[in-house]
Amino acid sequence: MKHLVQTFVKGITRENPLMILMIGLCATLAVSTQFQGAVFMGLAVIFVLTMSNAIISIFRRFIPNEVRIPMFIVVIASFVTIVDLVMKAFVPSVYAFLGIWIPLIVVNCIILGRAEAFAYHNGLPAAIADGLGMGVGYTIVIVVFAFVRELFGSGAVKFFGATLLALPSWYAPPSVVLLFPGAFILFGFFLAGWRALVSRPGGGGGCS
Amino acid sequence: MSVLSQMALLFIGAALVNNMLLTRFIGLCPFFGVSSSMSTSVGMSLAVVFVMTLASGATWMAWKFVLSPLGVGEFLYIPAFILIIAALVQFVEMYLRKASPVLYRAMGIYLPLITTNCAVLATATEAAKPGFFKMNIPLGPSLGLGEALVYTLGVSVGFGFALLTFAALRERLEAAPVPAALRGAPIAFISAGLLSFAYVGLAGWFGL
Repeated sequence: MKHLVQTFVKGITRENPLMILMIGLCATLAVSTQFQGAVFMGLAVIFVLTMSNAIISIFRRFIPNEVRIPMFIVVIASFVTIVDLVMKAFVPSVYAFLGIWIPLIVVNCIILGRAEAFAYHNGLPAAIADGLGMGVGYTIVIVVFAFVRELFGSGAVKFFGATLLALPSWYAPPSVVLLFPGAFILFGFFLAGWRALVSRPGGGGGCS
Repeated sequence: MSVLSQMALLFIGAALVNNMLLTRFIGLCPFFGVSSSMSTSVGMSLAVVFVMTLASGATWMAWKFVLSPLGVGEFLYIPAFILIIAALVQFVEMYLRKASPVLYRAMGIYLPLITTNCAVLATATEAAKPGFFKMNIPLGPSLGLGEALVYTLGVSVGFGFALLTFAALRERLEAAPVPAALRGAPIAFISAGLLSFAYVGLAGWFGL
Protein backbone atom coordinates (compact mmCIF):
# COMPACT_ATOMS: atom_id res chain seq x y z
CA MET A 1 0.00 0.00 0.00
CA LYS A 2 2.78 2.37 0.98
CA HIS A 3 4.48 1.50 -2.25
CA LEU A 4 1.37 2.41 -4.26
CA VAL A 5 1.07 5.77 -2.51
CA GLN A 6 4.70 6.47 -3.32
CA THR A 7 4.12 5.59 -6.97
CA PHE A 8 1.12 7.92 -7.02
CA VAL A 9 2.94 10.84 -5.35
CA LYS A 10 6.04 10.68 -7.52
CA GLY A 11 3.89 11.46 -10.56
CA ILE A 12 2.93 14.74 -8.93
CA THR A 13 6.26 15.84 -7.48
CA ARG A 14 9.52 14.07 -8.24
CA GLU A 15 8.61 12.91 -11.75
CA ASN A 16 5.95 15.44 -12.67
CA PRO A 17 5.49 14.93 -16.43
CA LEU A 18 5.35 18.61 -17.30
CA MET A 19 7.69 20.23 -14.83
CA ILE A 20 10.40 17.58 -14.47
CA LEU A 21 10.18 15.09 -17.35
CA MET A 22 9.09 17.91 -19.71
CA ILE A 23 6.89 15.73 -21.89
CA GLY A 24 3.43 16.46 -23.27
CA LEU A 25 4.12 20.17 -23.46
CA CYS A 26 2.35 21.01 -26.70
CA ALA A 27 -1.19 20.60 -25.47
CA THR A 28 -0.38 22.28 -22.18
CA LEU A 29 0.72 25.53 -23.77
CA ALA A 30 -2.04 25.48 -26.37
CA VAL A 31 -5.12 24.80 -24.27
CA SER A 32 -4.11 26.79 -21.19
CA THR A 33 -5.76 29.96 -22.49
CA GLN A 34 -9.00 28.82 -20.91
CA PHE A 35 -9.49 27.39 -17.42
CA GLN A 36 -12.53 25.35 -18.40
CA GLY A 37 -10.82 23.76 -21.40
CA ALA A 38 -7.76 22.93 -19.31
CA VAL A 39 -9.88 21.15 -16.68
CA PHE A 40 -11.40 18.92 -19.36
CA MET A 41 -8.02 18.33 -20.99
CA GLY A 42 -6.68 17.20 -17.61
CA LEU A 43 -9.63 14.87 -17.06
CA ALA A 44 -9.22 13.41 -20.55
CA VAL A 45 -5.52 12.72 -19.92
CA ILE A 46 -6.22 11.13 -16.52
CA PHE A 47 -8.83 8.85 -18.09
CA VAL A 48 -6.76 7.79 -21.10
CA LEU A 49 -3.55 7.39 -19.10
CA THR A 50 -5.09 5.30 -16.31
CA MET A 51 -7.11 3.08 -18.62
CA SER A 52 -4.31 2.45 -21.10
CA ASN A 53 -1.86 1.77 -18.25
CA ALA A 54 -4.33 -0.73 -16.79
CA ILE A 55 -5.01 -2.55 -20.07
CA ILE A 56 -1.34 -2.71 -21.03
CA SER A 57 -0.40 -3.95 -17.58
CA ILE A 58 -3.04 -6.71 -17.70
CA PHE A 59 -1.93 -7.91 -21.13
CA ARG A 60 1.80 -7.29 -20.70
CA ARG A 61 2.65 -11.02 -20.75
CA PHE A 62 0.87 -11.47 -24.09
CA ILE A 63 2.32 -8.48 -25.91
CA PRO A 64 5.43 -9.51 -27.88
CA ASN A 65 8.35 -7.17 -27.41
CA GLU A 66 8.80 -6.55 -31.16
CA VAL A 67 5.36 -5.16 -31.84
CA ARG A 68 4.70 -3.53 -28.49
CA ILE A 69 4.70 0.08 -29.71
CA PRO A 70 1.97 -0.42 -32.37
CA MET A 71 -0.07 -2.38 -29.83
CA PHE A 72 0.28 0.35 -27.21
CA ILE A 73 -0.80 2.88 -29.81
CA VAL A 74 -3.91 0.89 -30.71
CA VAL A 75 -4.92 0.65 -27.03
CA ILE A 76 -4.32 4.36 -26.49
CA ALA A 77 -6.10 5.34 -29.70
CA SER A 78 -9.19 3.36 -28.65
CA PHE A 79 -9.48 5.26 -25.38
CA VAL A 80 -8.84 8.55 -27.11
CA THR A 81 -11.66 7.76 -29.54
CA ILE A 82 -13.96 7.20 -26.54
CA VAL A 83 -13.00 10.60 -25.14
CA ASP A 84 -13.39 12.20 -28.58
CA LEU A 85 -16.93 10.92 -29.09
CA VAL A 86 -18.08 11.47 -25.48
CA MET A 87 -16.89 15.08 -25.44
CA LYS A 88 -18.39 15.78 -28.86
CA ALA A 89 -21.75 14.51 -27.60
CA PHE A 90 -21.95 15.97 -24.09
CA VAL A 91 -19.77 19.11 -23.95
CA PRO A 92 -19.71 20.44 -27.54
CA SER A 93 -18.40 23.88 -26.48
CA VAL A 94 -15.37 22.29 -24.82
CA TYR A 95 -14.92 19.98 -27.81
CA ALA A 96 -14.88 22.95 -30.16
CA PHE A 97 -12.30 24.71 -27.99
CA LEU A 98 -9.97 21.70 -27.64
CA GLY A 99 -10.27 20.77 -31.35
CA ILE A 100 -7.22 18.96 -32.69
CA TRP A 101 -5.84 18.44 -29.18
CA ILE A 102 -8.27 15.61 -28.48
CA PRO A 103 -7.00 13.35 -31.31
CA LEU A 104 -3.47 14.46 -30.48
CA ILE A 105 -3.72 12.86 -27.01
CA VAL A 106 -2.77 9.67 -28.91
CA VAL A 107 0.71 10.99 -29.54
CA ASN A 108 1.03 12.70 -26.18
CA CYS A 109 4.43 11.49 -25.02
CA ILE A 110 3.21 11.12 -21.43
CA ILE A 111 0.85 8.28 -22.27
CA LEU A 112 3.06 6.28 -24.60
CA GLY A 113 6.01 7.02 -22.32
CA ARG A 114 4.27 5.63 -19.23
CA ALA A 115 3.04 2.58 -21.15
CA GLU A 116 6.58 1.85 -22.28
CA ALA A 117 8.46 2.77 -19.11
CA PHE A 118 6.05 1.66 -16.42
CA ALA A 119 2.88 -0.26 -17.32
CA TYR A 120 4.72 -2.80 -19.50
CA HIS A 121 6.88 -3.85 -16.55
CA ASN A 122 4.55 -3.57 -13.55
CA GLY A 123 1.44 -5.17 -12.10
CA LEU A 124 -2.08 -3.81 -12.35
CA PRO A 125 -2.30 -1.90 -9.01
CA ALA A 126 1.04 -0.18 -9.54
CA ALA A 127 0.17 0.68 -13.15
CA ILE A 128 -3.12 2.26 -12.09
CA ALA A 129 -1.42 4.21 -9.29
CA ASP A 130 1.20 5.44 -11.76
CA GLY A 131 -1.42 6.43 -14.32
CA LEU A 132 -3.47 8.31 -11.75
CA GLY A 133 -0.41 10.01 -10.25
CA MET A 134 0.99 11.12 -13.60
CA GLY A 135 -2.47 12.22 -14.73
CA VAL A 136 -3.11 14.22 -11.58
CA GLY A 137 0.37 15.75 -11.73
CA TYR A 138 -0.34 16.84 -15.30
CA THR A 139 -3.78 18.17 -14.42
CA ILE A 140 -2.59 20.21 -11.43
CA VAL A 141 0.02 22.00 -13.52
CA ILE A 142 -2.19 22.64 -16.55
CA VAL A 143 -5.15 23.83 -14.46
CA VAL A 144 -3.07 26.20 -12.33
CA PHE A 145 -1.27 27.51 -15.42
CA ALA A 146 -4.55 28.05 -17.27
CA PHE A 147 -6.06 29.77 -14.21
CA VAL A 148 -3.18 32.24 -14.10
CA ARG A 149 -3.27 32.85 -17.86
CA GLU A 150 -7.02 33.37 -18.05
CA LEU A 151 -7.08 35.56 -14.94
CA PHE A 152 -4.33 37.92 -16.09
CA GLY A 153 -5.02 37.61 -19.81
CA SER A 154 -8.73 38.30 -19.80
CA GLY A 155 -9.37 39.68 -16.30
CA ALA A 156 -11.74 36.98 -15.08
CA VAL A 157 -11.84 33.19 -14.81
CA LYS A 158 -15.05 31.59 -16.03
CA PHE A 159 -16.37 28.04 -15.76
CA PHE A 160 -19.43 27.31 -17.93
CA GLY A 161 -20.48 30.96 -17.80
CA ALA A 162 -20.09 31.36 -14.01
CA THR A 163 -17.34 33.77 -12.98
CA LEU A 164 -15.01 32.14 -10.48
CA LEU A 165 -12.69 35.05 -9.87
CA ALA A 166 -12.45 38.49 -11.42
CA LEU A 167 -9.86 41.21 -11.19
CA PRO A 168 -11.04 44.78 -10.43
CA SER A 169 -12.27 46.70 -13.45
CA TRP A 170 -9.28 49.08 -13.57
CA TYR A 171 -7.11 46.14 -14.66
CA ALA A 172 -6.57 46.28 -18.41
CA PRO A 173 -5.61 42.73 -19.44
CA PRO A 174 -2.56 42.58 -21.72
CA SER A 175 -3.52 40.27 -24.56
CA VAL A 176 0.05 38.95 -24.87
CA VAL A 177 -0.66 36.68 -21.90
CA LEU A 178 -3.17 34.79 -24.02
CA LEU A 179 -1.04 34.88 -27.19
CA PHE A 180 1.62 32.34 -28.11
CA PRO A 181 4.72 34.26 -26.95
CA GLY A 182 3.13 34.89 -23.57
CA ALA A 183 2.55 31.19 -23.08
CA PHE A 184 6.20 30.34 -23.73
CA ILE A 185 7.54 33.10 -21.50
CA LEU A 186 5.12 32.49 -18.62
CA PHE A 187 5.80 28.77 -18.80
CA GLY A 188 9.53 29.44 -18.55
CA PHE A 189 9.03 31.39 -15.33
CA PHE A 190 6.54 28.82 -14.08
CA LEU A 191 9.14 26.11 -14.62
CA ALA A 192 11.81 28.07 -12.79
CA GLY A 193 9.42 28.69 -9.88
CA TRP A 194 8.36 25.05 -9.62
CA ARG A 195 11.93 23.83 -9.69
CA ALA A 196 12.91 26.27 -6.96
CA LEU A 197 9.93 25.52 -4.69
CA VAL A 198 8.65 21.97 -5.31
CA SER A 199 11.12 19.61 -6.97
CA ARG A 200 14.17 19.65 -9.17
CA PRO A 201 14.92 17.34 -12.11
CA GLY A 202 17.24 14.44 -11.49
CA GLY A 203 18.17 13.95 -15.14
CA GLY A 204 16.70 11.55 -17.67
CA GLY A 205 13.25 11.90 -19.17
CA GLY A 206 12.42 13.40 -22.52
CA CYS A 207 11.14 11.79 -25.71
CA SER A 208 10.60 12.42 -29.41
CA MET B 1 -7.14 33.57 -58.11
CA SER B 2 -5.03 31.30 -60.25
CA VAL B 3 -4.18 27.83 -59.03
CA LEU B 4 -0.49 28.64 -58.83
CA SER B 5 -0.86 31.71 -56.65
CA GLN B 6 -3.31 29.87 -54.44
CA MET B 7 -0.75 27.10 -53.97
CA ALA B 8 1.92 29.68 -53.15
CA LEU B 9 -0.38 31.28 -50.58
CA LEU B 10 -1.13 27.90 -49.08
CA PHE B 11 2.59 27.16 -48.79
CA ILE B 12 3.50 30.48 -47.18
CA GLY B 13 0.47 30.37 -44.93
CA ALA B 14 1.36 26.92 -43.68
CA ALA B 15 5.10 27.52 -43.38
CA LEU B 16 5.37 30.99 -41.89
CA VAL B 17 2.12 32.68 -40.94
CA ASN B 18 0.65 29.62 -39.24
CA ASN B 19 3.97 28.09 -38.23
CA MET B 20 3.27 24.77 -36.58
CA LEU B 21 5.78 25.13 -33.78
CA LEU B 22 5.68 28.74 -32.79
CA THR B 23 2.11 29.76 -33.43
CA ARG B 24 0.31 26.49 -32.70
CA PHE B 25 2.55 24.73 -30.18
CA ILE B 26 2.37 21.50 -32.16
CA GLY B 27 5.54 19.42 -32.09
CA LEU B 28 7.20 21.03 -29.10
CA CYS B 29 8.78 17.80 -27.82
CA PRO B 30 11.35 17.56 -30.64
CA PHE B 31 11.59 21.35 -30.62
CA PHE B 32 13.04 21.33 -27.11
CA GLY B 33 14.45 17.81 -27.29
CA VAL B 34 16.78 17.99 -30.28
CA SER B 35 17.38 21.71 -30.63
CA SER B 36 20.38 21.75 -28.29
CA SER B 37 22.71 21.16 -31.24
CA MET B 38 22.62 22.21 -34.85
CA SER B 39 23.50 18.84 -36.41
CA THR B 40 20.70 16.94 -34.69
CA SER B 41 18.25 19.65 -35.72
CA VAL B 42 19.24 19.30 -39.37
CA GLY B 43 18.67 15.52 -39.22
CA MET B 44 15.35 15.93 -37.48
CA SER B 45 14.13 18.58 -39.93
CA LEU B 46 15.02 16.42 -42.93
CA ALA B 47 13.26 13.43 -41.44
CA VAL B 48 10.16 15.48 -40.65
CA VAL B 49 9.88 16.95 -44.17
CA PHE B 50 10.26 13.50 -45.66
CA VAL B 51 7.92 11.55 -43.38
CA MET B 52 5.26 14.22 -43.04
CA THR B 53 4.77 14.55 -46.79
CA LEU B 54 4.52 10.78 -47.24
CA ALA B 55 2.18 10.48 -44.26
CA SER B 56 -0.20 13.15 -45.53
CA GLY B 57 -0.40 11.50 -48.93
CA ALA B 58 -1.14 8.16 -47.28
CA THR B 59 -3.80 9.43 -44.86
CA TRP B 60 -5.40 11.51 -47.61
CA MET B 61 -5.83 8.40 -49.75
CA ALA B 62 -7.00 6.31 -46.80
CA TRP B 63 -9.64 8.91 -45.95
CA LYS B 64 -10.76 9.44 -49.53
CA PHE B 65 -10.88 5.85 -50.72
CA VAL B 66 -11.45 3.77 -47.59
CA LEU B 67 -12.62 5.53 -44.43
CA SER B 68 -14.99 8.06 -45.94
CA PRO B 69 -16.79 5.79 -48.49
CA LEU B 70 -17.30 3.12 -45.81
CA GLY B 71 -18.74 5.69 -43.41
CA VAL B 72 -16.45 4.68 -40.55
CA GLY B 73 -14.22 7.74 -40.64
CA GLU B 74 -15.73 9.63 -37.73
CA PHE B 75 -14.84 7.04 -35.13
CA LEU B 76 -11.93 5.23 -36.75
CA TYR B 77 -9.83 8.10 -38.01
CA ILE B 78 -7.62 8.35 -34.91
CA PRO B 79 -6.45 4.71 -34.78
CA ALA B 80 -6.34 4.46 -38.57
CA PHE B 81 -4.16 7.53 -39.11
CA ILE B 82 -1.73 6.78 -36.31
CA LEU B 83 -1.31 3.19 -37.48
CA ILE B 84 -0.71 4.36 -41.05
CA ILE B 85 1.97 6.73 -39.79
CA ALA B 86 3.59 4.10 -37.56
CA ALA B 87 3.67 1.54 -40.37
CA LEU B 88 4.92 4.10 -42.87
CA VAL B 89 7.76 5.17 -40.60
CA GLN B 90 8.77 1.57 -40.13
CA PHE B 91 8.83 0.94 -43.90
CA VAL B 92 10.73 4.15 -44.61
CA GLU B 93 13.32 3.15 -42.05
CA MET B 94 13.76 -0.33 -43.53
CA TYR B 95 13.89 1.00 -47.07
CA LEU B 96 16.38 3.75 -46.30
CA ARG B 97 18.69 1.38 -44.46
CA LYS B 98 18.89 -0.77 -47.60
CA ALA B 99 18.71 1.81 -50.35
CA SER B 100 20.46 4.92 -49.10
CA PRO B 101 22.91 4.49 -46.23
CA VAL B 102 23.92 8.16 -46.46
CA LEU B 103 20.39 9.41 -45.96
CA TYR B 104 19.86 6.79 -43.28
CA ARG B 105 22.87 8.02 -41.33
CA ALA B 106 21.62 11.59 -41.57
CA MET B 107 18.11 10.97 -40.30
CA GLY B 108 17.90 7.32 -39.26
CA ILE B 109 17.80 7.72 -35.50
CA TYR B 110 15.08 10.37 -35.71
CA LEU B 111 12.68 8.20 -37.67
CA PRO B 112 11.31 6.10 -34.76
CA LEU B 113 10.80 9.27 -32.75
CA ILE B 114 8.69 10.74 -35.50
CA THR B 115 5.88 8.25 -34.97
CA THR B 116 4.98 10.04 -31.77
CA ASN B 117 5.67 13.51 -33.12
CA CYS B 118 2.34 15.23 -32.83
CA ALA B 119 3.13 17.54 -35.76
CA VAL B 120 2.99 14.60 -38.14
CA LEU B 121 -0.35 13.32 -36.88
CA ALA B 122 -1.80 16.83 -36.75
CA THR B 123 -0.77 17.68 -40.31
CA ALA B 124 -1.79 14.33 -41.73
CA THR B 125 -5.18 14.64 -40.03
CA GLU B 126 -5.66 18.18 -41.24
CA ALA B 127 -4.66 17.30 -44.80
CA ALA B 128 -7.07 14.37 -44.98
CA LYS B 129 -9.93 15.71 -42.87
CA PRO B 130 -9.69 19.52 -42.69
CA GLY B 131 -11.54 21.60 -40.15
CA PHE B 132 -9.42 21.64 -37.01
CA PHE B 133 -7.30 24.63 -37.94
CA LYS B 134 -8.69 27.95 -38.99
CA MET B 135 -6.52 29.45 -41.71
CA ASN B 136 -7.51 32.46 -43.76
CA ILE B 137 -6.97 30.67 -47.04
CA PRO B 138 -9.86 30.31 -49.46
CA LEU B 139 -10.11 26.54 -49.57
CA GLY B 140 -12.99 24.20 -50.04
CA PRO B 141 -14.28 21.93 -47.26
CA SER B 142 -11.86 19.22 -48.38
CA LEU B 143 -8.44 19.45 -49.99
CA GLY B 144 -7.40 17.82 -53.25
CA LEU B 145 -4.34 15.60 -53.16
CA GLY B 146 -2.16 18.34 -54.67
CA GLU B 147 -3.35 20.93 -52.14
CA ALA B 148 -2.88 18.47 -49.29
CA LEU B 149 0.72 17.80 -50.36
CA VAL B 150 1.55 21.50 -50.81
CA TYR B 151 0.04 22.24 -47.41
CA THR B 152 2.08 19.48 -45.78
CA LEU B 153 5.25 20.56 -47.52
CA GLY B 154 4.66 24.08 -46.23
CA VAL B 155 4.07 22.91 -42.67
CA SER B 156 7.14 20.69 -42.63
CA VAL B 157 9.44 23.30 -44.18
CA GLY B 158 8.16 25.81 -41.61
CA PHE B 159 8.81 23.25 -38.89
CA GLY B 160 12.39 22.74 -40.04
CA PHE B 161 12.98 26.46 -40.40
CA ALA B 162 11.78 27.22 -36.88
CA LEU B 163 13.75 24.30 -35.46
CA LEU B 164 16.99 25.44 -37.11
CA THR B 165 16.53 29.06 -36.01
CA PHE B 166 15.93 27.95 -32.47
CA ALA B 167 18.90 25.56 -32.49
CA ALA B 168 21.17 28.40 -33.60
CA LEU B 169 19.75 30.53 -30.79
CA ARG B 170 20.32 27.84 -28.19
CA GLU B 171 23.91 27.25 -29.20
CA ARG B 172 24.56 30.90 -28.39
CA LEU B 173 22.61 30.58 -25.16
CA GLU B 174 25.03 27.90 -23.91
CA ALA B 175 27.69 30.52 -23.41
CA ALA B 176 25.41 33.29 -22.17
CA PRO B 177 25.42 34.40 -18.52
CA VAL B 178 21.95 33.21 -17.46
CA PRO B 179 20.69 33.56 -13.85
CA ALA B 180 21.00 30.23 -12.04
CA ALA B 181 17.27 29.82 -11.49
CA LEU B 182 16.51 30.13 -15.19
CA ARG B 183 19.35 27.97 -16.51
CA GLY B 184 18.42 25.07 -18.78
CA ALA B 185 14.80 24.57 -19.76
CA PRO B 186 13.28 27.80 -18.36
CA ILE B 187 15.51 30.08 -20.42
CA ALA B 188 14.86 27.91 -23.49
CA PHE B 189 11.15 28.57 -23.09
CA ILE B 190 11.65 32.29 -22.64
CA SER B 191 13.80 32.53 -25.78
CA ALA B 192 11.23 30.46 -27.68
CA GLY B 193 8.68 33.06 -26.57
CA LEU B 194 10.78 35.86 -28.02
CA LEU B 195 11.17 33.92 -31.28
CA SER B 196 7.43 33.37 -31.31
CA PHE B 197 6.87 37.15 -31.21
CA ALA B 198 8.51 37.32 -34.63
CA TYR B 199 6.11 34.75 -36.06
CA VAL B 200 3.06 36.34 -34.49
CA GLY B 201 4.16 39.54 -36.22
CA LEU B 202 3.76 37.82 -39.57
CA ALA B 203 0.00 37.48 -39.08
CA GLY B 204 -1.76 39.43 -41.81
CA TRP B 205 0.90 38.88 -44.47
CA PHE B 206 -0.70 38.68 -47.91
CA GLY B 207 -4.03 38.85 -46.12
CA LEU B 208 -3.42 35.46 -44.52
